[in-house]
Amino acid sequence: MKRRRLCVLWIALVLTSSGGVLRAAVAPSGSAPEGAPTTKSKAKAKAKATPPTATMPAARLESLRLALAGADDGAAIDAAATLGASGVAGARDPLIEILAAGATSARAQAALDALGQLSEAHLLGKEQTTFDLLDLYAGHRAPEVRRRAIKVLGSIADARAVPTLMERLGDAAPDVRAAAAEALAARRDTKAAKRMFALLKVGDAGVAGPLATIATPDLVPQIAELAGTIDDGIVATALGEYAKRTDVPDRLRVDVLRTIGRLSGAAATTALVEYVASVPAKDDRPSKREAQKLLDQRGTDQ
Amino acid sequence: MRTLDLSLVALVAVGAVGAIGAIGLSGCATSPFQRAGNADDVAAAVARSRPPAAPARSLVFLVLSGTGGPRLAAYDLAASKILWTQPTDVTTRVEAGNNVIVHGIKGTGPGGTVIGRDLETGNVLWQRPLQSKERLFGYVVDGDAAFLVVQSSAAPGRPTGALFSLDARTGVERWHHELPSGRVAGPAARGGVVAVPLDSQYVLLFDGQSGLELGQVLSTEEAANFVRALPEGLFYGSRGLFLLGRSTAHGTRRSPGYLSARLPDFVRPVYWYDLYRPEQAEYSAIDRNRILWRVTVDGDRPQFRDGLAFVHDYRFFFAFDAGSGALRWAYGAPNSDAVASADTGHAILFVTADGEIGGLDPITGARIYEAHLPGEIVRGASFDAEGFAPAGAAAASKPPDVLTALTAIIADPDQRFPVLKLFAIEELGRQPGREVTAKLIDILQKEGLAPLAYQKAGEMLVARRDAGSLDLITAALRAHADYAEKRAAPPVEILARAVGALGPLGRALAPDLAAELRLPETSPAAAAEIARALVAIGAQESLPALRDFLSLYRADSSYERDPTALVAAAEALLKLGGPTDRALLLYLAEEPHTATGLRTHLTRALGETAPRGVAPAPPTAAAKN
Repeated sequence: MKRRRLCVLWIALVLTSSGGVLRAAVAPSGSAPEGAPTTKSKAKAKAKATPPTATMPAARLESLRLALAGADDGAAIDAAATLGASGVAGARDPLIEILAAGATSARAQAALDALGQLSEAHLLGKEQTTFDLLDLYAGHRAPEVRRRAIKVLGSIADARAVPTLMERLGDAAPDVRAAAAEALAARRDTKAAKRMFALLKVGDAGVAGPLATIATPDLVPQIAELAGTIDDGIVATALGEYAKRTDVPDRLRVDVLRTIGRLSGAAATTALVEYVASVPAKDDRPSKREAQKLLDQRGTDQ
Repeated sequence: MRTLDLSLVALVAVGAVGAIGAIGLSGCATSPFQRAGNADDVAAAVARSRPPAAPARSLVFLVLSGTGGPRLAAYDLAASKILWTQPTDVTTRVEAGNNVIVHGIKGTGPGGTVIGRDLETGNVLWQRPLQSKERLFGYVVDGDAAFLVVQSSAAPGRPTGALFSLDARTGVERWHHELPSGRVAGPAARGGVVAVPLDSQYVLLFDGQSGLELGQVLSTEEAANFVRALPEGLFYGSRGLFLLGRSTAHGTRRSPGYLSARLPDFVRPVYWYDLYRPEQAEYSAIDRNRILWRVTVDGDRPQFRDGLAFVHDYRFFFAFDAGSGALRWAYGAPNSDAVASADTGHAILFVTADGEIGGLDPITGARIYEAHLPGEIVRGASFDAEGFAPAGAAAASKPPDVLTALTAIIADPDQRFPVLKLFAIEELGRQPGREVTAKLIDILQKEGLAPLAYQKAGEMLVARRDAGSLDLITAALRAHADYAEKRAAPPVEILARAVGALGPLGRALAPDLAAELRLPETSPAAAAEIARALVAIGAQESLPALRDFLSLYRADSSYERDPTALVAAAEALLKLGGPTDRALLLYLAEEPHTATGLRTHLTRALGETAPRGVAPAPPTAAAKN
């Protein structure tokens, strides 16, 4: 009875709200806010854009929706997980709704995780509502909420996500910065390299890998020059990841590996080991031999 | 030690001037202060005080230390050169007479010594070691005589006090006068009259030649902690100053001869050294933090010269309108504390610890004198430069810019002056112009600013209501926190208050304020101020941002304890929004996950603002759960 009442309230809310992300949030079937696309029209749009997916009985979906908004936090989190793992396109709407209406931090995180799962399964879609909502949560005061929102946002292959990801590269929380960096690196957004390098210069370990993914060759010497000014392990990680890129000329790889060889610490050794391991066994490229030689020397030195 | 025949003193005193201080000395049981406050006595005594002739010299005596060891040097300001240097470890202040200077070494207690030196060469003329039971309270040189006030504990019972007169060239005692109380203070002398404070409320006046007591001043409303001799008269006082004369023989603040300046709170009201405290006879921090003043006298009424009182506060000098307390100018010594200062009547002179000798124009604060003693460390200094001012220098130099000076004080990394910084911020805020608004915003963004200073800068910014600087506030709001660019969050809370204070004039800033609601670095306190500001400027276009803020955090546990920001946002929705927003708020009021404080507030607020005939039901039991 209580859940039913909340649902009614929510419907009333969405119907009457007239601005903010809330206004655009997806409402339950038949109660979409004025100006926002209806569930039916969205479903049609989705049908055009995405391949057919599994379905979930409407009653089951409704029970999960109610659980999400119910009094029991544990049940709500379980419902979010179920929706995320469902592989059902319709699972998105209850998650968007609960986020739009506002939830406890634990529920919001669970809903964002579930949206992330749907996104990985290409079931999230690219509607403005989704972007707006994720954008809003990317500015949440709780870093763990922001990180999750950034992760979902980053998983959407759409340029609208980029400004927020770029902004969160300057987040105060290292985990959020790292999530933004990984998302930008995943989409090979080279415009982010400058900001990532600025972070690397202050020893932000979370951007070492992502920066290596998008770094242009002219940035490599600048990364190498950071040795001694920041933790050598961070420099080794960045250079090691760069060396593993398939688009890097092998001659440049050799130079990079030699630079790694001059760095101290276990991270440098790990970078060399990982590089050797990343090259197919049959491939006897010079850089692999160089990395092995450097490893042998490190072993001898020790 | 030669002493006066006490019975003769008594006879002469009673017969000549009627004073009874000497009667007390002869053992009579009556109060030694029976003539305290007698205006005729005091007026007659003051009339005997001859104004000193204007000296033809401009000297500063420098107490030096550092690699050259402890030394005393005489520096000629007019010639900009050191006249002589003598090795000695000066402790108590140099006092200059006609051709002699007197100072002390090794403190004011037993073991200390008072030394007379030739003014031309610095050579020692005489020394007077303090006896084992003696304590020096001060000395002064007047003409060819030096006067010392010494407290002695040699006899059983209470300590006694005595005023000694010495030949300034030889140090030979001319006379001494046992004072009627052991609670003594250092003396001052002017043109043959010596003044000695006693028992905090009396000042005894003596003839410098004979030692005869001439009169007794009684101060009833303020302690008489100091006496000071200036060409314009003899003064006493503590929190204010009394020009010694008929009207102040019985000193009250209503006396025509009383004067005090209206000064800001940061100023310690030290018009002169507390001469009851021997440690203040030594070069110390008191030399770096006090009021500098000179007066003009009209009859028995003193007025601050040019209406100004000057404040020396370590590295800084200020001129204030003595009547209103308004700041006229401010000057900051760039490198180190000014260890000594003096108002010569035509210049504010100072010496810094790192060997800079400076002079400021009293009217404008312009730098009119500058000399340096490279490599020297100056521990203290005494000026003997009455009337000195470099000719033509005032016209040639540029007065200090008040804004620049105040900004420098605020930005100064020296943490010793928190109250002064508050004053500087307040004073800066009172100045007109966009430049000031920009500086206040800049101050608010400085790292490491003391909380009180931050608060004061914020108050001043808000109080300015500077609608002409909206662009500056916009720029500040848009400079969001960015770790990659090492940029801290702007002072959103204060900026929001400043915008709110503008009312509808601040409406253009609504989008920027609303944008802050969506940023993680915006604190709940700032969010609350933003919501209030949006109401104040009537920013209905910000309703979506307010709704989002409420939705985002209404169930956040971090707002359970303090829902102020949520309440402010809800209030803003209620005031700016329409029926749809009331519906949203009704939903929030009933939804059980909404922060309890917000629900409670909403239930009441919705009820109070409900359209006639429509009263919302209180939260249901289910909702309460």
